Amino acid sequence: MEQIKQPEKKSWYDRWYKILLAIPVVIMLISLIYLGVFYSKNHTFMFRDVSLSGGTTITLKGNIDSANLESQLKNKFSDIEFKKLTDLTTGNPVAFVIESSTTPDELKAGVEEILGYKLTDENSSIEFTGPSLSQSFYKQLLIALVISFVLMSLVIFILFKSFIPSIAVIFAAFSDIIMPLALLDFLEIKISAAGIAAFLMLIGYSVDTDILLTSRALKKVEGKLNERIYGAFKTGIFMTITALLAVLPAFFIVTGLPDSFRQIFLILSLGLGADIINTWLTNASIIKLYCTKKGIK
Amino acid sequence: MAKITFRIWLLIIVLILAILSIAPWGYFEKGVLIKSVEKNSTAFNYGLRQGMIIKQIDDNIIKNAADYSAIISRLFAENKTLNKIIIQTSQGEFILFEVKSLEITVAGIPGTKLKTGLDLSGGARALVRPANFSISSSEINDLIAITTERFNVYGLRDITIRSVRDLQNNNFMLIEIAGATPRDLQDLVGSQGKFEAKIGNDTVFEGGEQDITRVCRNDAQCARIESCSQVQGGASCRFSFLIYLSETAAQRQASITSKLGINTTDSGQYLNKKLDLYLDDNLVDSLFISRDLKGKAETQIQIQGSGSGNTQDEAAKDAQQNMNKLQTILLTGSLPYKLEIVKLDTISPLLGKAFTKNIIYLALIVFAIISIILFIKYRKIKITLAVILTMFSEAFITLGIAALIRWNLDAPSIAGIIAGMGTGVNDQIVIIDEAVSESNASLGEKIKRAFFIIIGAFFTIIAAMLPLFWAGAGMLRGFALTTIIGVSVGILITRPAFADIIKKIQE
Repeated sequence: MEQIKQPEKKSWYDRWYKILLAIPVVIMLISLIYLGVFYSKNHTFMFRDVSLSGGTTITLKGNIDSANLESQLKNKFSDIEFKKLTDLTTGNPVAFVIESSTTPDELKAGVEEILGYKLTDENSSIEFTGPSLSQSFYKQLLIALVISFVLMSLVIFILFKSFIPSIAVIFAAFSDIIMPLALLDFLEIKISAAGIAAFLMLIGYSVDTDILLTSRALKKVEGKLNERIYGAFKTGIFMTITALLAVLPAFFIVTGLPDSFRQIFLILSLGLGADIINTWLTNASIIKLYCTKKGIK
Repeated sequence: MAKITFRIWLLIIVLILAILSIAPWGYFEKGVLIKSVEKNSTAFNYGLRQGMIIKQIDDNIIKNAADYSAIISRLFAENKTLNKIIIQTSQGEFILFEVKSLEITVAGIPGTKLKTGLDLSGGARALVRPANFSISSSEINDLIAITTERFNVYGLRDITIRSVRDLQNNNFMLIEIAGATPRDLQDLVGSQGKFEAKIGNDTVFEGGEQDITRVCRNDAQCARIESCSQVQGGASCRFSFLIYLSETAAQRQASITSKLGINTTDSGQYLNKKLDLYLDDNLVDSLFISRDLKGKAETQIQIQGSGSGNTQDEAAKDAQQNMNKLQTILLTGSLPYKLEIVKLDTISPLLGKAFTKNIIYLALIVFAIISIILFIKYRKIKITLAVILTMFSEAFITLGIAALIRWNLDAPSIAGIIAGMGTGVNDQIVIIDEAVSESNASLGEKIKRAFFIIIGAFFTIIAAMLPLFWAGAGMLRGFALTTIIGVSVGILITRPAFADIIKKIQE
């Protein structure tokens, strides 16, 4: 069917897409600056919990008189933190978590003295990670994160075989890591080993919408570019929202879960949130610019 | 009726295989599972073995672990010896004669073949490496062999010890113990166990088979708690047991004692130096040497020690444990290296139960939420059902594979399964949206396009998760493994079947 040529009316998206690109760029810049300042101040990229900095976690089962315990322990140990875990169905406290960089023997003795009973493997769990091991864990997980990112980039290059669209996807994935990381640092949330694993997962998890967008924009023969991008957006945003709804309850509703579990879902939630911006503002604008330059309509 | 395609058949077959692999029939079976049988015990000699299921003892039917303990404590009350006991098991009937006690441990029959990790089932985990230097893979294997023997001699079963290596090529020994945590775990894995008996500065004998030919254990004739007494702040009990020295060690002792003088005390005549027992360079006990032993190549030596506690019961228990530890070390000898425990976790089984319950609720909530939003979006019950069925199949097949490879499902593994389900749903949304799109392309062409995206996403996830297999001594391997299994099952089995189902719905 032959199309009648007429001067194309510029749509809302045609006029604004370059401006839209500025939003994620600004957020990204703020995040990077914040991380830079953070690094120069703390000499690390993130606050680390005991699994990555060394120390002891004691989880006490049941309903504990936590206020008294907290105040007394704070006098004894300088760097001590507490967390309460509740049951999902009843809302009753299931456990009380104590974290400190001290050795298990010291922390255990301190807790036992205040509680007035012995900690056994019936009433408590004790986890200890030595400082040297946690340092090497941290280092290795960062190496893993880099390897993971490089491998993902390779896959993207092989998939699209052209530079700009591939870089756009890789940049979106990079932003998906940087933005949540800056936010976690800002909120002073301590990241565990499982949390870094979640960042790795995020690399794999967040690019599917980018692949969807890029392949629809570049390869599909039907429809105009804007329509194809909008079609991809409709599918992609639904994907991300579904994934967000699948991971969010784990963080918000349920607190009586192992910490590794909560960290994974918290970071995936933040990453997916960032992914909405990075796919549909950053990546979409770059791909539209690219297609316009290349004459792909 | 719509024809079932090859891909849908494949999904059905794999689902059936997953059910067989998970084997949920344990829930319907009655009895108790034998977890371990003490070697050379009466039960062992009459043929009872680990893995058998006890259904009945004499006339008493055993439904669960509680039944078993009730019957055992009734039968063996007051330490009496039974003339005869008949045990019905899954592998036939065993008749045992002259039984003092059944030296076996049992547990309830597990409902499925799925195994949960330590953070959910409780237990202990220690990551150990030699202090201050790194060792090769073959050296770590020697270390594992000695440690395994030490645990066996000590009487701990149900332990896995393996070597793990991390991204920086460090070798570690990983010890995992399911269920309750033994009190002495730290001593058993963390101490080198170097035992020395010295007179003055001369070593008479050391732990290990070179100097010690036999150690008396589990025999009240030559290994027992001797006496208990009240001491300040509690009670103390002494133990003693016999060991047998090799000829060379006995000769060594003779030549050292021959040079010693004799002291006369109120309680008798002894040599003027004592036999000092050192464990990892700490003095644990000093024993008087009777004058009769001067210059004599005596092969039998009485080893003594003590235990303490708040009450006499506690002290006796402590002495018993110390005796067991010392016997273990004397039998197995010292470890080749000084060790350092770099990670030690002891997880309460009860906390694990609470976590597992919450995770199951969480999975159900996620299922419900996804089903509702899919229905709101597509308003087609058939499509929604197809997605839910596929999502469920994926998780179920992943669990089936985990059961097949005997993977311990820990919290990160389950997080991986849920994350895998998330990607699964995403892929299905891509397929549905392509299929229902108003494009002029054929349905086959549309699905092909969807698969380009799905395969791309698949490879990026694999690429992203691979490094986790090695980083951090593999502690997060479960997360990578279940995610990779999940997405692979998706791409190979469930997604193609789902595409066919959607084709059928669309046609």
